[in-house]
Amino acid sequence: MKALILVGGFGTRLRPLTLSVPKPLVDFGNKPMILHQIEALKAIGVTEVVLAINYQPEVMMNFLKDFEAKLGIKITCSQETEPLGTAGPLALARDKLIDDSGEPFFVLNSDVISEYPLKEMIEFHKSHGGEASIMVTKVDEPSKYGVVIMEESTGQVERFVEKPKIFVGNKINAGIYLLNPSVLDHIELRPTSIEKEVFPKIAAEKKLYAMVLSGFWMDIGQPKDYITGLRLYLDSLRKQSSPLLASGTNIIGNVLVDETAKIGEGCLIGPDVAIGPGCVVESGVRLSRCTVMRGVRIKKHACVSGSIIGWHSTVGQWARAENMTILGEDVHVGDEVYSNGGVVLPHKEIKSSILKPEIVM
Amino acid sequence: MGGSEERVVVAVIMVGGPTKGTRFRPLSLNTPKPLFPLAGQPMVNHPISACKRIPNLAQIYLIGFYEEREFALFVSSISNELRVPVRYLKEDKPHGSAGGLYNFRDQIMEESPSHIFLLNCDVCCSFPLADLLEAHMSYRGMGTILVIKVSPESANQFGELVADPVTNELLHYTEKPETFVSDRINCGVYIFTPDIFTAIQGVSSQRKDRATLRRVSSFEALQPANRSLPSDFVRLDQDILSPLAGKKQFYVYETTDYWEQIKTPGMSLKCSGLYLAQFRRTSPDLLASGDGTKNAAISGNVYIHPSAKVHPTAKIGPNASISANARIGAGVRLVNCIILDDVEVKENAVVIHAIVGWKSSIGRWSRVQASGDHNTKLGVTILGESVTVEDEVVVINSIVLPNKTMNVSVQEEIIL
Repeated sequence: MKALILVGGFGTRLRPLTLSVPKPLVDFGNKPMILHQIEALKAIGVTEVVLAINYQPEVMMNFLKDFEAKLGIKITCSQETEPLGTAGPLALARDKLIDDSGEPFFVLNSDVISEYPLKEMIEFHKSHGGEASIMVTKVDEPSKYGVVIMEESTGQVERFVEKPKIFVGNKINAGIYLLNPSVLDHIELRPTSIEKEVFPKIAAEKKLYAMVLSGFWMDIGQPKDYITGLRLYLDSLRKQSSPLLASGTNIIGNVLVDETAKIGEGCLIGPDVAIGPGCVVESGVRLSRCTVMRGVRIKKHACVSGSIIGWHSTVGQWARAENMTILGEDVHVGDEVYSNGGVVLPHKEIKSSILKPEIVM
Repeated sequence: MGGSEERVVVAVIMVGGPTKGTRFRPLSLNTPKPLFPLAGQPMVNHPISACKRIPNLAQIYLIGFYEEREFALFVSSISNELRVPVRYLKEDKPHGSAGGLYNFRDQIMEESPSHIFLLNCDVCCSFPLADLLEAHMSYRGMGTILVIKVSPESANQFGELVADPVTNELLHYTEKPETFVSDRINCGVYIFTPDIFTAIQGVSSQRKDRATLRRVSSFEALQPANRSLPSDFVRLDQDILSPLAGKKQFYVYETTDYWEQIKTPGMSLKCSGLYLAQFRRTSPDLLASGDGTKNAAISGNVYIHPSAKVHPTAKIGPNASISANARIGAGVRLVNCIILDDVEVKENAVVIHAIVGWKSSIGRWSRVQASGDHNTKLGVTILGESVTVEDEVVVINSIVLPNKTMNVSVQEEIIL
């Protein structure tokens, strides 16, 4: 079975992290974002994943070779020469997605982290016999997204409403699709939107069905949602009693610690923290609701909350980073410095406190 | 003295490197700062052209931390274009401003030059190198430093020098002092005799000896001054000029022309204007002209690359610079701005006090402007590479990083 992951473009909303690596390779829960999706696809028997990209293909390909070998799944790239929107890339990758088996293929949006109930989705798709299935999820604020109006009992989709101004429904497009090869006949090789052009056509023919995603869902394409998403992800690990979660007297709530990371004495870590490979957390450190990426050193008595600390950065002794402080790669926060929402581009030293949220270039 | 007239002279231009100078972002996210164009030519072209005017110049060395391949194309094309040999030398690790010079002494001394010019690439000035050489030869010291007088309030951002008013000998040098020392500052342009290498080596070995012989108490070791620098890390200002001031080794030569440091994108716009004014004086044929009939109306000093297309109803300048393949549509107004390669400015748009990045697109009736204060962070609007400003959108006093689309108006913002 095959799958396409829409990787898209520059990931500007996740800057400054995406100034150092392309967005799919930004770590989430101690592994590259895209690896969560590739592993979920591999688990239900997908044998080939096509990545639709239009930015930094060389960097992607280098990483992918590693994953291919380790996971035993074939990974190829389909590179757009001009941005093709959310449907165009499917037409571009047509030859890779269709084979003689006539099986449907998955399409995933790379910004999405969720439970991935893909096996259930395959069964749902078979049972309704339509042309396309999409996963929807219930959200509190539907007007931020594209709302899907569907018939509750069968899941048949009536129509889409993009960012509705009044309440029309609370199920939104979760960015996970299972499509019959015939859907590709509806898509031309030009910039096309799957929600605005392709799905409405299929819905009009009454051949589009929606399945409500149980479990967590988050679009982690921007820092605030990334931090919320981590909480949901770790929560789901807890529900599965995952052995990956750390435990100990200095751990509160759900915490992920890479086996190569070191944590000192007298620390209090958690809830909702991920500590990446090679990190050093010195003694007396408090970490909560944050991600600490590969190679970071948090020095003694420092305090980090609600923040993302980028690869190989350091947080100085008695320093405090909170309230959506996002440090890019190789950023060094001096001893005793306070950052309230500082967003710092790579390769910087922060020697004086940032009292209100600001971008440091 | 007569013999040195036959000997050659070389020039060294320090170009810096990528992780230093984050102050030049977002423009430096896409291009090494030394290659950013001012008045239509890469920043480093200006000191290189100045070096070319020195008699008996044998070679120009660019020393920096950028990868060789980033400079390879530039170096071969500038060597051909200006017909002067230019080489790029990559430093493997930081050696300090003097240590870097010393690190490459073999190459620099290859043709036994009698004199070595040292220039910093991110300095904008008239580079009066022939005058500097003449002055140096009359003083007969180890080196002569180009200095300029600035306002006392701003002097402490630089290296301050005190010189003997009669002999011009350097008496005192201090880097960024807290209290007022002098209103004469170091321009970052020097000339040395090869003795400078001996002086640098002296500092190196002295430091090495001190490190092995001296046992530092644990309290002393915490003091920043004693935090040991590697022996091959030698700074020109603190380690050479400061200690040797007052010992009849160094002299100063004062320029009264313009001088600025090009540290930020805002300053690069100001310096582009200074170089355009310089072209007006020395090579006015490089500048554009037009009165709105056959060609666009040009006001003040304007540079337009031959491949750029400018609609005759546009009005350009003063202080505008338009790079290769840019397209300026009908009724566009450009004032004090740099329009980089492949930019499209659509009809009736207005750009004032801004830098528009490569391949960007400025929509119809849109307005990209700023206060024009070159010294403040948001005083010049900077659009990075491939930024799209949609029709009728206004972007004021803002910085926009590459690959963004502006579909709503903003003021005083940094858009990541």
